[in-house]
Parts: sequence; C-alpha cells; structure tokens
Amino acid sequence: MKWLLDILKGTWLGHPLHPILVHIPMAMWPSALIFDLLSQQQIGGNAMVRLSFYAIVFGLATALLAVPTGLVDWSGIKKEQPAWKIGLYHMLLNLVVAILFAVNLCLRWPTFREATEVDSIPLLLSAIGTLILIVSAYLGGRMVYEYGISVARMSKKKWRKLAAAGGANLPLE
Amino acid sequence: MLKDLLEGKPLRHPIHPMLVHFPIGLFVLSFILDLVSLAPSPRPFLVSASFYAMLLGIITALLAAVPGLVDYTDIRRDHPGKKTATSHMVLNLVAVTLYAINLWLRIPALPDSKVGSTPLILSFVGIGFLSASGYLGGRLVYDEGIAVGRHKLRAPTPRTTLHLSTMQAEKKNGMNFVPLPEAERLHDGETLRVEIDKQVMTIARIGDQFYAFQEFCTHRFGPLSEGSFHGFNVQCPWHNSCFDVRTGKVTNGPAKVDLKTFKVEKRDGKIYVGVPAP
Repeated sequence: MKWLLDILKGTWLGHPLHPILVHIPMAMWPSALIFDLLSQQQIGGNAMVRLSFYAIVFGLATALLAVPTGLVDWSGIKKEQPAWKIGLYHMLLNLVVAILFAVNLCLRWPTFREATEVDSIPLLLSAIGTLILIVSAYLGGRMVYEYGISVARMSKKKWRKLAAAGGANLPLE
Repeated sequence: MLKDLLEGKPLRHPIHPMLVHFPIGLFVLSFILDLVSLAPSPRPFLVSASFYAMLLGIITALLAAVPGLVDYTDIRRDHPGKKTATSHMVLNLVAVTLYAINLWLRIPALPDSKVGSTPLILSFVGIGFLSASGYLGGRLVYDEGIAVGRHKLRAPTPRTTLHLSTMQAEKKNGMNFVPLPEAERLHDGETLRVEIDKQVMTIARIGDQFYAFQEFCTHRFGPLSEGSFHGFNVQCPWHNSCFDVRTGKVTNGPAKVDLKTFKVEKRDGKIYVGVPAP
C-alpha cells in the first residue's frame, strides 16, 4: 500500500503529483469555452468545433487521473486545519465541474463531426463549468499559497541541514 | 502598485502559477492531436486543431511571462532557488521560441491531414523543454517556498543576506556585539536577513525597537525574514506558525519548538546584535 501512496504523492518525483496533473483540465476546459466562442464567431469552422470537443475529452481523462492524487494529498491534512475544509470544497466543486463537462461532451457527440459552430447549450455549459472551475482552482491554489500544503514536504531535510549548520533550534525529527 | 498587482497580492494568490496552466495544457494537447493525425485513418482537421491549440498556447505563455518576470525579480539574490528560477526562465524562453518557429512552419501545411515531420519533432522537443521547465517551476514552490505566503507581507523582503563577522565585534560578558549600521535604515515592520558565523537570523524593527531571532521557522524552516508582523508576533509565511519576537516562544502552531533569540543593544544611536562568543 505504501508504494502506491508514494506514487500518488509524487515522492518518487520529488514534486507533488496532483498540482502537475491538474494543469491539463485547468487548461482544457476554459480553452474549450474560448474555442466555442471563436466557433460562434465563424472562426475555424469544424476544426474549431472538433478542437473544443477534443479539449473536453482530454480534460476529463486527466481529471480522472488527478482524483486519486488529490484525495491522497487531502487525507494528509489534519481535520482541525483550515486547509481541510477548503480541500473539501475544492473537491466538491471539482466533482460538479467534471459532471458538467461530461454532460457537455455527451451533448456534442452527435454533431461535432460536421458542425461548424457550437450550439448554445453546450457553450453555456462550458461557461458555467469554467466559472465553477476557476473558483475551485483558486481554492486549490489558496491551499498552497496561504496554508503551505505540500510546501517543504519533500525539501525539509535540505532546510534542516542549513538551519542546523547555524545552530538554530530545530523541530523534533 | 503595479508590482503588487502582478504578484497577485489583491487576489492573495500569485498570478504566474495561475496562467501557466494554459501553455502547459495546450502544448500537450497540440502534441497529442499531432500524434493522432498520424493514425492510419486520421480524422479530418486535426492539423488545424493542433495549430489553434498551439497558437493559444503561445499567447497565454507570453501573458504568463510578465508576472513570472516580476516573481523572479522578487526572489532574494542569494536564495538557493534563484538559480533554479533562472533555469526555469531560460528553458521557457527556449520552449516559446521553438513553438513560435513551429507555428510558423505549420501555416502553409494547414489543409494537410497529417502533421509534417519537422513540426512534429519541434513539438516533441518543445514538450521536453516544457516538462523540465514546469518541473523546476513546481520545485520553486514546493521545495523553495517561492511566493508561498508572500501576499501576507506588506513590507519589502530583504534583497540579499548581510554577511557579518565577529571580527569587528565588541566583546562584553562573554558575548560578541556586532555592529549593524544597516538596521538603522529599517522602517517599522521591515527586516534584515543577517548571517554571522553561519548563524542566520532575522533583524526586525517593530515600532522603535529592534529584535533578532533565528531565520528558520522551527516547523519546516520557512524564512522568518519574509514573515509578517502582528504586534510582537512574527508569522511564518509558509504554514503560519507564530512566535513572540521578544522571547522566541511559540504563540501559534504548527511549530512546537521556540525560536532562538539574540540580544539587540542600542548605544549612542548605534545598533548591535549579540551572539555568544565561542
């Protein structure tokens, strides 16, 4: 079990894995909205409609991969810490976003091969999904930049050496 | 102030790490669409779709460069992460240049159903540079703590570490008192990062008083010279541990161990910090 947890936490890589994987859905879904809007402006034709469709597919596939890594990182936070609750909201919002884009994808399926313009209902779903995603991603970022989740998790040995060299008081190992 | 905006202080979240999702995701998508276009019975328009993804990737990469450069200049000159940040920036410049050439080469071949070999190789190399660079960017946050908790701070962070020696010190009661002329220029809430014989410490001015304590937080060694001050408490930028600067006592976790403090003396308008003589 421990080897699996180490893979998911990114210990083998020296970098937490969840923030790496989330780049993909975080880029794909707002970009899909941009591609939808461009296609409605008659830019790109069927290539743009397909691009938006592929972006949503790629986003969904990587979002599923990001789930276990996120869960493992979240389970490492103590429940009394403020970041725990933020993590919970982050997770619930992400679930909503993923469902919205899955529905969105299904609605596009019958027409994306020929259409030269994205319909308004899928476009609306992209817009709502993107808005919720931005809130959720902001919360994820706050966990790192406000509460330091995963910060110095893997580098603490290096820092301890520096602090110890100057005779500073150190935490227990 | 423009610098504070580009550092994302009003949002309480740095801007550069928000924007970089786009070039990373879009360049990877573009490469995957290229690969799919080489399948035996390719779907139509993959080459165009890949082109548009790359174009948006380049636009967002250029947008991300601006706050990235501001973040870079804000890293202390002798910070161990400064070199990593320089490599991160150079790799990104190479990657974006490669993608700009790549995009240019694709323009005449847009109606094709399969991607050409030169653009494909350029994308492959581009992904390599991008992965290395993105990895280094992540290490800057997760190993070096760059931009973590930076928005909590209003005062400027120290630009470099002052290296002082006990050679010029006045000896008194088994202590070396090292003169600190730089401290006289500090304003309320500002700090110096000072190293005396390998001991790294923060010198902080609170009101008209000066305090000296160890630089490294006793939780995970966050930089207290980049901490924020609340009354007589210093808060670590990384995980928000608080310490009383007068005594070094922990006033809020996660830290459990008190800070080492140093004596600061003011004589004839001059400021001295006392370190135990060896």
